[in-house]
Amino acid sequence: MNKKIKTYYLLTAFTVFMFGFSYMLVPIYEVFCEITGLNGKTGSINSASVIEKPVERFVRVQFTSNVINSAPFKFSPGKKEMVVQPGKIYTTFYTLTNKSNETLLATANPSITPGKYAEYFKKIECFCFTHQQINGNETKELAVQFIVDEKLPTEATSLVLAYTMFDITKQLGYKLEK
Amino acid sequence: MNTDADHLHEDHKTGIMRWITTTNHKDIGTLYLFLSLTMFFVGGAMALIIRAELFQPGLQLVNPDFFNQMTTMHALIMIFGALMPALVGLANWQVPLMIGAPDMALPRLNNWSFWILPFALSMLASTLFFEGGAPAAGWTLYPPLVLQGGDALPYAIFSVHLLGLSSILGAINIIATILNMRAPGMTLMKMPMFVWTWLITAFLLIAVMPVLAGAVTMLLTDRFFGTSFFTASGGGDPVMFQHIFWFFGHPEVYILILPAFGVISTIIPAFSRKKLFGYDSMVYATASIALLSFIVWAHHMFTVGMPLAGEIFFMMTTMLIAVPTGVKVFNWIATMWQGSMTFETPMLFSLAFIVLFTIGGFSGLMMAITPVDFQYHDTYFIVAHFHYVLVPGAIFAVIAAVYFWLPKWTGKMYDETLGKIHFWLTTIFVNITFFPQHFVGLAGMPRRIPDYAVQFTDFNAISTIGSFGFGIAQILFLYILYKTLQQDVTADNKVWEGAEGLEWTLPSPPPYHSFEEPPKVE
Repeated sequence: MNKKIKTYYLLTAFTVFMFGFSYMLVPIYEVFCEITGLNGKTGSINSASVIEKPVERFVRVQFTSNVINSAPFKFSPGKKEMVVQPGKIYTTFYTLTNKSNETLLATANPSITPGKYAEYFKKIECFCFTHQQINGNETKELAVQFIVDEKLPTEATSLVLAYTMFDITKQLGYKLEK
Repeated sequence: MNTDADHLHEDHKTGIMRWITTTNHKDIGTLYLFLSLTMFFVGGAMALIIRAELFQPGLQLVNPDFFNQMTTMHALIMIFGALMPALVGLANWQVPLMIGAPDMALPRLNNWSFWILPFALSMLASTLFFEGGAPAAGWTLYPPLVLQGGDALPYAIFSVHLLGLSSILGAINIIATILNMRAPGMTLMKMPMFVWTWLITAFLLIAVMPVLAGAVTMLLTDRFFGTSFFTASGGGDPVMFQHIFWFFGHPEVYILILPAFGVISTIIPAFSRKKLFGYDSMVYATASIALLSFIVWAHHMFTVGMPLAGEIFFMMTTMLIAVPTGVKVFNWIATMWQGSMTFETPMLFSLAFIVLFTIGGFSGLMMAITPVDFQYHDTYFIVAHFHYVLVPGAIFAVIAAVYFWLPKWTGKMYDETLGKIHFWLTTIFVNITFFPQHFVGLAGMPRRIPDYAVQFTDFNAISTIGSFGFGIAQILFLYILYKTLQQDVTADNKVWEGAEGLEWTLPSPPPYHSFEEPPKVE
């Protein structure tokens, strides 16, 4: 093959690879955030998290909520605060009310503050990222089940779990179930 | 000369079809440079709209939405329409002449990579007439803001795809030419500095332009196909766009400046009548700047809430770039040391480049210091910084290159007195325009804002006056180019006494087909 054409093909292949690489940056970013707990991404659950005899130590967990933009939701935590023991399973809930008369789709994003402790906050059951179809003027209770990992550094005495609720009814790709 | 002209007529089409179908590197270089000149004035007119609005506080001339469209379009047109085509145009003219090649390696591809540009740029400019106007989220196109615009977004994104495609094809062609078509005896370490800087730039281009294409494609699918790369409600993250964008964006700023370094490294020795000091170290410095550019991107986003370790890493790597850049600046100064210097227009622009680019480099170092960057972030200080490295930096190098090689390309000498007047007007007004922006930036004036607090009035008024002076000085540049082409006085083969390189062994203007027999390099 002509040397020039060979160079051309090699460089074109490299260009295509770099286009793919830009998409590879997405999972790399996700994994990086998960390992470092950046962005308040919560850790994944494993069997070691639950322990038979929890240590005598207490951590305060506070709950907050936000509704994005002018979405017609009332969204609030059932309890503002819990004092929990690392290694034990706890359950709490949030209430979501649709103040409009129309059926809407909602979805919530979680975040833990301070972010560096996010990996020690493990959710067993959570409504995050699932699409909640909610009828007009309906109220729903959304449950959260979680464990605070006993490996949580001792200087951490309190964590905040925040949920932000989005109205995604009008976004493309989501369809209401009739 | 007659035989050359006859040769020229029998060889290819005439009139408009000559330019549309041409595969000649000199024709394509000329096309690139003319397109760049046109876009320089279009982008410049947009800058003047911005400056006119900022002459006084309050809203006088344009509404805020149009103002935001102007900042976005000014940046996109200047980067992708003016500066990059100018540098590719210089490469098209000069690389084959400097390495003793008859043409570019892939001439048809060369034609194609130029002719994509006018269409892409027209598509981008047409968005100004859309309902909702052109994209208005800055050239960085950050979501979620950019996703909230009107119908312009998909057009802007497709034009960015096309502009990127054109640059990639141009870069592939340049690499293929440099690696395969050097004259016998010209080893890599004997290549002129301009060729070296373009070789490295071309590799940067094919490495990062596809990443920009990927990032804007993700924006497109987020807006129209329900993906959630950057949409928080679907589990995406807008900050991730900033990471991907600046992974492209930081190498991109070196794409704009490295060929300029090459031009300066060619002109300074010619008018100092000495060889370039530290050729090898220049090559290594250019390569290390290019490599480092891949690991510094997050210094554009120190304020997004990165962990301390990340901020320290990006601060240190950014500061490290000052070392190879310093090597280059000191080498230029050492080249001039004890040289028999003369100060023709290309040399004046090159000297101004060294001084003013270094000022821009220093303000860059200030912003590399993470804790103080929190004060400078998104203020006019950053506007002053990147205009210092791009206008009296990259643009001055392009103007210097045009004055330096124009007599070679056309066979006609420009008017030296007018050239010097152009230089002094440009240099004085560029400083009047951008220097005060450091002060208003440090005092807290945000960028991309059509209105501002009254205490910034005086410096903004000065800046606006400077920008109009700069604009008028460039009309003089147009006149100089026109006058050069009109006159009969012909230039010598070796236009400049101290110039070295294969291009000066050819007649001025060089024949349409040059170096059909490769020259011998000692």
